[in-house]
Amino acid sequence: MVLSILFLSGTLLLILQTTLLNSLPEWFGRPNLSFLFIVFLGTYLDIYKGAVLALLFGLIMDIFSGVFLGLHPVIYLGLFFFLQFLSRQLTVKESIHQIPLVALSYLFTASSIFIFTSILTPESRLYWAWGNEILQVLILSIICIPFFNFFHWLTTVFDSTKANNHYRRQKTGNRYRIQQ
Amino acid sequence: MRKKNKRAKQIRIFLFFGLLLALFIILIVSTVGSKEFNAPHKLALEVIGTAQYGMTRISGSFRNGWQNYTALINVREENVRLREELRKHKAINNEYREAVAINVRLSKLLEMKETIQTPTLTAEIIGVDPSQWFKTVIINRGSSDGIKDGMPAVTSEGVVGQVTNTSPHFAKILLATDPNSALDGLIQETRVRGVVKGGGAGFHMEYVLKNNEVTKGDRIVTSGIGDIFPKGIPIGTVSKVEKSGRGMFQEIEIEPAADFSQLEYLLIVMKKDPLAK
Repeated sequence: MVLSILFLSGTLLLILQTTLLNSLPEWFGRPNLSFLFIVFLGTYLDIYKGAVLALLFGLIMDIFSGVFLGLHPVIYLGLFFFLQFLSRQLTVKESIHQIPLVALSYLFTASSIFIFTSILTPESRLYWAWGNEILQVLILSIICIPFFNFFHWLTTVFDSTKANNHYRRQKTGNRYRIQQ
Repeated sequence: MRKKNKRAKQIRIFLFFGLLLALFIILIVSTVGSKEFNAPHKLALEVIGTAQYGMTRISGSFRNGWQNYTALINVREENVRLREELRKHKAINNEYREAVAINVRLSKLLEMKETIQTPTLTAEIIGVDPSQWFKTVIINRGSSDGIKDGMPAVTSEGVVGQVTNTSPHFAKILLATDPNSALDGLIQETRVRGVVKGGGAGFHMEYVLKNNEVTKGDRIVTSGIGDIFPKGIPIGTVSKVEKSGRGMFQEIEIEPAADFSQLEYLLIVMKKDPLAK
């Protein structure tokens, strides 16, 4: 159930981004919501569900963005496993850590696309526009916390197991208490 | 007995995920670097393209509603001004009427001529590449309308791009400003040829020798070589020429003729045998 909801939500985000959000003025910036969605998958979902969704969205993204097929699945899966690793080692689910995490992940993705495309088409001249990249990082940093909170709430609502855990966790009142 | 069952279950889970992983790897390896859409890609483009089309329609109606609302704010002042203007223009209108009639006849003739030589198909842009690295758009016409890979896309202002992928009702256009795009161009005044490549916001022209005369403001058109773009379609005007660098070629920057930030409708030139690859 939660997988289907997330798949539909991700597809809706992609449609919004390629239509409505694109009509925003360029100086204002166009938030890359699909990217934030992949970061959400990497930090909040378990490895199997998350990897399947990250791969699916990579394949879909290939249709609507870029020239070479396979570029987005590879990068999205790479990002997903990187985030999975980080979320196991660090407390990245804490709101305050999400901002640098999103910024770092965005730069990782942008540079990966830049490097892969440069390798696949050495004859084409790609330009790294710092202005655009910094604007995008700023926008993503601002919207990431409400975005993650919304999707976290959505997954909790549609995932009964998580909803029960959430309820139980709230009752303890002590986040550092060792669970028996 | 229970231990055995548990082990068998673990092996089954391991095999399932191993198989799934192998399939994913095969899928990724088989698609990396390829430019061709396969059946699932086409299906996804059909489904999501339909949703994009709907969303474009909805956002269009909202935009129109908002524009109508804002237009009402100063409508009284504008009305007085327009009435005055109308009185003046009625007088001028009589003079132009004859000229317009001639223009309409000539335009129709020209349109007919163009239709016979290379038929075109109007398409609406329904989706834009969300990435900052690539410049592609999705249009609401596909292979069922006769669109094929490699067909050129233009506007009345100039060159826009080329069809790279199609599904039955939608197609993807690689804009000429994409770094992966290249087309053969010609400086209209001096007839010097070069390769026009996408540079994000504009174009740059390559392989023009330093001893060729190129000046700011020169117009660049398609050369027609390669039989992809019809000859003489405007590409842009030279905005900067740099000869001081190393090597035998000039660095030429071009301001596009078409306004890529305002693209809404395109004309697809329906060539019989478009050379795409």
